[in-house]
Amino acid sequence: MPAPSAVTSLPAGPFEAALAEMATPLLLLDAGGSVTFANDRAAVLFAGSPPVGRALPALLAARGAAEPGAFDDALRAGRPAREGLALNGGRRVEAALAPLSSGGFALTFEDVTEHVRSAALARLEPLTGLCNRAELHERLGAELAAAERAGAPLAVLLLDLDRFKAVNDTLGHPVGDALLRKVAERLRNAARREDVIARLGGDEFALVQVGRAGADQPRAAEALAARLVDLVGRTYVLDGQMLNVGASVGIALYPDDGRGADDLLKHADLALYRAKADGRATYRFFEPAMNVAVQARRSLEIDLRRALALKQFTLAFQPQISLETGAVSGFEALLRWHHPERGPISPATFIPLAEEIGVIVGIGEWALRTACREAASWAQPASIAVNLSPVQFRGGKLVETVMLVLAQTGLDPARLELEITEGALLDDTDGVLTVLNGLRALGVRISMDDFGTGYSSLSYLQKFPFDKIKIDQSFVRGMAGSAECGAIVRAIARLGASLGMRTTAEGVETADQLDAIRAEGCSEVQGYLTGRPMPADQAAALLI
Amino acid sequence: MTDDLRRLVYYSRNRTVGAPEAVDATIRAILATSRTNNARVGVTGALMFNAGCFAQVLEGPSDAVEATFERIQQDERHGDVSLLAYEAVATRLFTDWSMAYVGASKAEADRYGDVADTSGFDIARMTGDRLCAVLHGLALEEEAAVAA
Repeated sequence: MPAPSAVTSLPAGPFEAALAEMATPLLLLDAGGSVTFANDRAAVLFAGSPPVGRALPALLAARGAAEPGAFDDALRAGRPAREGLALNGGRRVEAALAPLSSGGFALTFEDVTEHVRSAALARLEPLTGLCNRAELHERLGAELAAAERAGAPLAVLLLDLDRFKAVNDTLGHPVGDALLRKVAERLRNAARREDVIARLGGDEFALVQVGRAGADQPRAAEALAARLVDLVGRTYVLDGQMLNVGASVGIALYPDDGRGADDLLKHADLALYRAKADGRATYRFFEPAMNVAVQARRSLEIDLRRALALKQFTLAFQPQISLETGAVSGFEALLRWHHPERGPISPATFIPLAEEIGVIVGIGEWALRTACREAASWAQPASIAVNLSPVQFRGGKLVETVMLVLAQTGLDPARLELEITEGALLDDTDGVLTVLNGLRALGVRISMDDFGTGYSSLSYLQKFPFDKIKIDQSFVRGMAGSAECGAIVRAIARLGASLGMRTTAEGVETADQLDAIRAEGCSEVQGYLTGRPMPADQAAALLI
Repeated sequence: MTDDLRRLVYYSRNRTVGAPEAVDATIRAILATSRTNNARVGVTGALMFNAGCFAQVLEGPSDAVEATFERIQQDERHGDVSLLAYEAVATRLFTDWSMAYVGASKAEADRYGDVADTSGFDIARMTGDRLCAVLHGLALEEEAAVAA
């Protein structure tokens, strides 16, 4: 065997120089597969282990190739071959072996490291290493084609974390990110190897339960969904803390709920929406009725967004009667929406929607201004009660708005009663109490509405000195048939009296109920018996 | 890493239902896994069990405790895992790894006598410790619930 130095350079000449200096790494091999020449680029590629004189498998092994014998068969058979090789240091190369007419072989290398890396990155979501949305669409498309050929059912599951935003907001993004990585790990644990798992952004994930001939759907999807809700909902410990989030899951099945990727994802999303609406930490299968329900909701939402501008809202005024004097002590302003085609729409329908899409802030301000203006025109200084939504507390401008409305309408602040429900105090109790104290400082009064139905936390009564407690109508209605309801009304009335708060019984419909209410010591009543909600002019006429 | 010592306490129901042999096999598998895994990552503690539930104390560096607990959370055989405490502590309550059977049934005590080693684990002594007393109580309640 000649000394390596004798063959590292070829006789001088333009072709030889071109071979030696060309931009592509090149090795020349003899018929036995030993290197006889390495150009400059090849010497760089194999830096640390000079190629010339070595057998190709030994050379590739020294460079860390996982399969150093990849070209052995081709070398023996004297035929061309192309192999992708992973070298140490994360380097990826495409190597092409070509037999030469003069005997031996030429082996060239193309560095595809960047290419492979960027292709992998383009498919992966960087935080969790799961598929990204684009990859999900591509894989789902391919799996659907396979499922169709095999006649196998397939399931698409969308999963969304409950309360994740609170984790991010209170503990910071690094903890939120660490939590998302743990969630991703649990998803991998729950799914099978062949299933596709993707993070779609934020706290939303997707799983494709790959179709198998004879797969028992929807049972398999249901088992996986139940497992996901359980597993993802289990307590996490990370960064020294205990964390709890829940998972809601929506499921759509191929072929029953759709044949294309877009339809299946859309339908799984509708099912997810239902799962969340049904109280979260649960799963739901898509049902065609969900499409109808969503269309109806979307159409109502469009109408609701423009109802204020189109002046479709009015206020109705329901009298409140003082049990001491029997006279009208004030009115509660009640929001009414009359749509030209839909007719009257129940507040129980549109107020939650208005809160959800945020338009309640504008509607609430309109109601406040209209009610105050109306009350300012009354012949007697009766009180006017206006309801506040929890959403109105969040903008940070409520005190300013009320101050402005009082100034604009000239209403005596002492005549305005703002009614809040316990729901307003549930989130961010301290923030809401600050706003309530700001309102109180303006001289307006604050009532606790619907008391006894929600959380009825007595601590709220202790934390803020409400002027009035309104006893929910369900207790008043139940008084005739149930001793318990009577006891509850009595207890709330006495509680109010001892705390220096007035009590109003709502929903009084019969004379018997009125007598019972009076006996229990409430200060005021409000209900169909003592006056239905009425238009503004009729209310004003009652005070003349 | 003594400044990063944490103690985690949980109890969980044993989800394996069916023949005593299946429950038996599951319990033995869980015990064997926790014994080897915990020793490897520097986690010590105590595991009390009976046919109905596991109550476990894990002590060690936070990374190791968090990883161990995450593995338990992902284990389908553990159902309704209730995390009772996760806190920084100055010293370990358990310097070793110990396990004990805390059921009321004599038959099961005999069955698990061989896996419930007595290395440093003395229920009578432990009942003096409030934490362990609570766990002990929970374990007995769970067993009563399963038997009911």
